[in-house]
Formats: sequence, structure tokens, C-alpha cells
Amino acid sequence: MGKIRIFVDSSDELGGQQYKYIAEKSVEDLGLGGSIDSIDMLIRVEEPVFIIIIRYKEVTGKSTLGDASYIDSRKNGIRITLSSEIFLGDALKALWSKYGRDRVEQIGRLEIFVSGAEPEEVKGIKLSEKGYDLESRINELATRIIPEGFRIRNSTKDKGIITIIASEDPIKEEWRVLARRLEGDARA
Amino acid sequence: MHVLKYLLFEGGLYRHERIIEFLEDVGGFLVQKTVVGLDLIMNLAVPEGEHERLSAIVSELKGKLTPAPLIGTEIGVVAPTLSRHHLPHPACDIAENLRRHGAKTNIIGLSRGVGQKIVHTTIKEKELIEEHDIAVFTLGNFEKCLMKKTKLFAEIEVPVIVTGGPVMKSIPGAEAYVGGIGRYPERARTGESIEKLREVSRVAGEVVEQRRREMDLDPLIVDPIVVKAEIERQVPESTEALSPNPVTLKIDGVRVKLPYDDYKDKIGNVSIGDKKLSEFAVIKRSLMRNYILVKVLPKSMF
Repeated sequence: MGKIRIFVDSSDELGGQQYKYIAEKSVEDLGLGGSIDSIDMLIRVEEPVFIIIIRYKEVTGKSTLGDASYIDSRKNGIRITLSSEIFLGDALKALWSKYGRDRVEQIGRLEIFVSGAEPEEVKGIKLSEKGYDLESRINELATRIIPEGFRIRNSTKDKGIITIIASEDPIKEEWRVLARRLEGDARA
Repeated sequence: MHVLKYLLFEGGLYRHERIIEFLEDVGGFLVQKTVVGLDLIMNLAVPEGEHERLSAIVSELKGKLTPAPLIGTEIGVVAPTLSRHHLPHPACDIAENLRRHGAKTNIIGLSRGVGQKIVHTTIKEKELIEEHDIAVFTLGNFEKCLMKKTKLFAEIEVPVIVTGGPVMKSIPGAEAYVGGIGRYPERARTGESIEKLREVSRVAGEVVEQRRREMDLDPLIVDPIVVKAEIERQVPESTEALSPNPVTLKIDGVRVKLPYDDYKDKIGNVSIGDKKLSEFAVIKRSLMRNYILVKVLPKSMF
């Protein structure tokens, strides 16, 4: 997992520092540590406007366990090594429902051991019906960070980057310009 | 009427009956008793002059006795909304710490407690908050936002304590302000953050003591703790209600957690001395689940 760069530019310095902490903890809670490159926030309470730019690694939809992991046979079972921890929750859920909790053991951060299973049958297990939806979790992350009172929102999405401008007032053109400039900085 | 001192007992179950017997002998009260395994926590009200004798018994039982002015108070912890931005942290952390110091707490989430423009408290919310002895408002991290949110509590008639991120000495419209506890996303675990929670409880204790001192100038006809004991004795259903603390002690009365329509007459007919409760207390419907609120009137009303 790479280090996430979190940058806050706030007109209220102490409040801004607290938002850095909120962002860190929200990433941790949602288990998005491996998917996010950077989070940039611009906070101007007096206007009021809150701009958040999240740069993330786009994950191509992995629908089966075979696509999302490396599976090798072991004595009495198989060992599954996931390619990313974002699949962990779905993988455990799918394995538990097929083999039961007694036969499935998480032996490491990315490793799961299933006793008495065959690699071929495990490869075909579907991770989830919809496939992995990283985007909705990134949106959830942004919603958790943005103060609740900033209810008027404008969001734009580009490849691997999402920008949300939030305010209590209608979104101004100058904020959009500011957001685009910040987006450029975040990419750099 | 003797002045009562509120104390928190922490110790073992073994021979704790001695404390209860002592309380009965000297005219003290057991406000609340919580048993956790073999441990025991009791909220006690003891006549001021008997403190030393009680300390002797407690030290004999190897227990701990600490003054807890928050015993006998019901505190409303008010969060701007019920969303995950504001709950469970820090509102629940603050409420938990207040309970550790003897208070009974209720958490209230406002419908429009956010933003700088839409922020307001509805009349019903105001009435609900005012059912409590004091209210603790948990606000956010930005000083400017906090200043615009003073209208949330400006008209609340019970004492208000505000917590927020910015370090300030006070905030207009509130009795006290505790800085350094703004919006935060995880349980308070560090020594520094727990110390802040303790500070809220300490400040709440001061506010409560101040309110009790003010009430001493025109004392209540009967101490609410006597009302609580008599309701529990004469209306046994009140102790069987499943709600926590079915007869909650407040500074100026009690909250009985029974349905108002079915029990208001029974509660009103509870006799204390040669009077009925309804003769010297206001008995009304609570906005909280139809409970019964009993507010004892001061002597000046008679």
C-alpha cells in the first residue's frame, strides 16, 4: 500500500488540520488505503465552499475470485492470495457462504486458507453480483468527509479523479475555475 | 431539610448491604445501583454531616468514594444531526463520560443543526431539550461556523455547555464552552482526548452545583429524591419498567418512564407527608415517548 498524500488548504488552520485527520480515518474505515493516491481539500468557511479532489487507482472490474487472486494448492486445502485488499470483504463473504465459516480462515492481510477445497471450483466463485464498485465507495468517502451543512454539490469525474465542490449557496463559476486548477495540481 | 451530598461508590458486592443500612439509618438515599459481575457501582445521596462516617465504612470494605455532583441530573447531549458525521463520535463519548460521573444522559439529534444558514432549533426540539437539567451541544471544528450556530441554543432556558474544535474561552449564549472536542471520526482513545471528555464532565458538575446553589435561595417543597423514593414505593410498576433508570432523578423533579395516559393519576395520587404529589408538583406529558414528567414546585409558590 502506497502512502496517501493528503493536502488541506483551509482558511481556518486548526479546523483544516482536523479535516486531514477525518480524511485519514475515513479512508481507513472504508478500507480504501490501497486504492487512493491523494486527497486534496480546499476549505473556505467564510464563503462558504469546500472542494475535495480524490485521485484514485482505477480498478478494472474483477468479477471472479480467479481474476482477483492467485490460488495455489496446499496440503488439505488451498491458499488464496488476493491481488488487493479491496477484494477481501467480498471474497470472505463468498467463501463463507459456499464453505461455511469453519473451513475458511484468513491467515494474513491478503491470504485466505480454505480447507478441503479444489482450486478449480474456487476460481469460478463470483465475488459479487455487481462486480467491485470502487466509485461508489470513493463517493461515500467524499460524503463522509464533506461537512454535512454543505448540501449543494457539484461533482465531476475524470479518469481516476473525482472532484466535488460543496457549498450552502449555488455553485459559483470562480469555484469551478479554482477546482479545475487544483485538479491540475493534484495530477502533477 | 438537610443538605444532601452526592457520592459515587465503586467497590465489590461483598457486604455492600452495610452501606445501604447506613443510608437508611441516617436518612440518605440510594439513587442508582449497577452490578457488573462482582463489581458494584452505587450512586448515593448522603446528608452532608454523615460523609465521614460513610467514608470509614467504605474504606473498611476496600471501596472507593468520590464526590459526583452529576448524580441526580439528567443531561441532554445534543448533536447537530443524527448522521454519521456527528454520531457516535463525539456525542456518545461525551455522554459516556458524563454517565461515569453519575449523570443520566439522553442523546438528541436535531433535524436542522447543520450549515450556517439553515441552522435552527424547532420549538419541539427546544421543549425536548428543556426537559433536561442541562444540555451539552456538540459542535464542529470551524470557529466561524460555531459563531453562526449560537442561535441553536440562544433561547434554550436550561444551562447550556458547548463543545467544539476551536480553542476559545466562551461562546455567546452558553454557560460554558469546552474547546478541543470538535468533529472527530473515531473513539476518544488518547490520554489527551479522554482528558477533554473529563473536562466536559467537570464543567457540567460546576454548572449543576451553581444551579443547585441558585435553587437553595428558593428551595423545592420536597427534595426530588424523596419524590423518587415514594413513587417507587407506592407505584411498584415504576420500578418494573424496562427502560433504563425507570424513575430518573432530576434537579427539580423526576421523569417516570411509564405511559402518561395510564399512570398520570396514580403518580399524582402518591402521598408525601399529608399532601398528594399533584398538589405541590406539575405533572405533565414528556415529549420523550409519552413518559411522565414531574416538576416539584418551589416553596415561594405556596
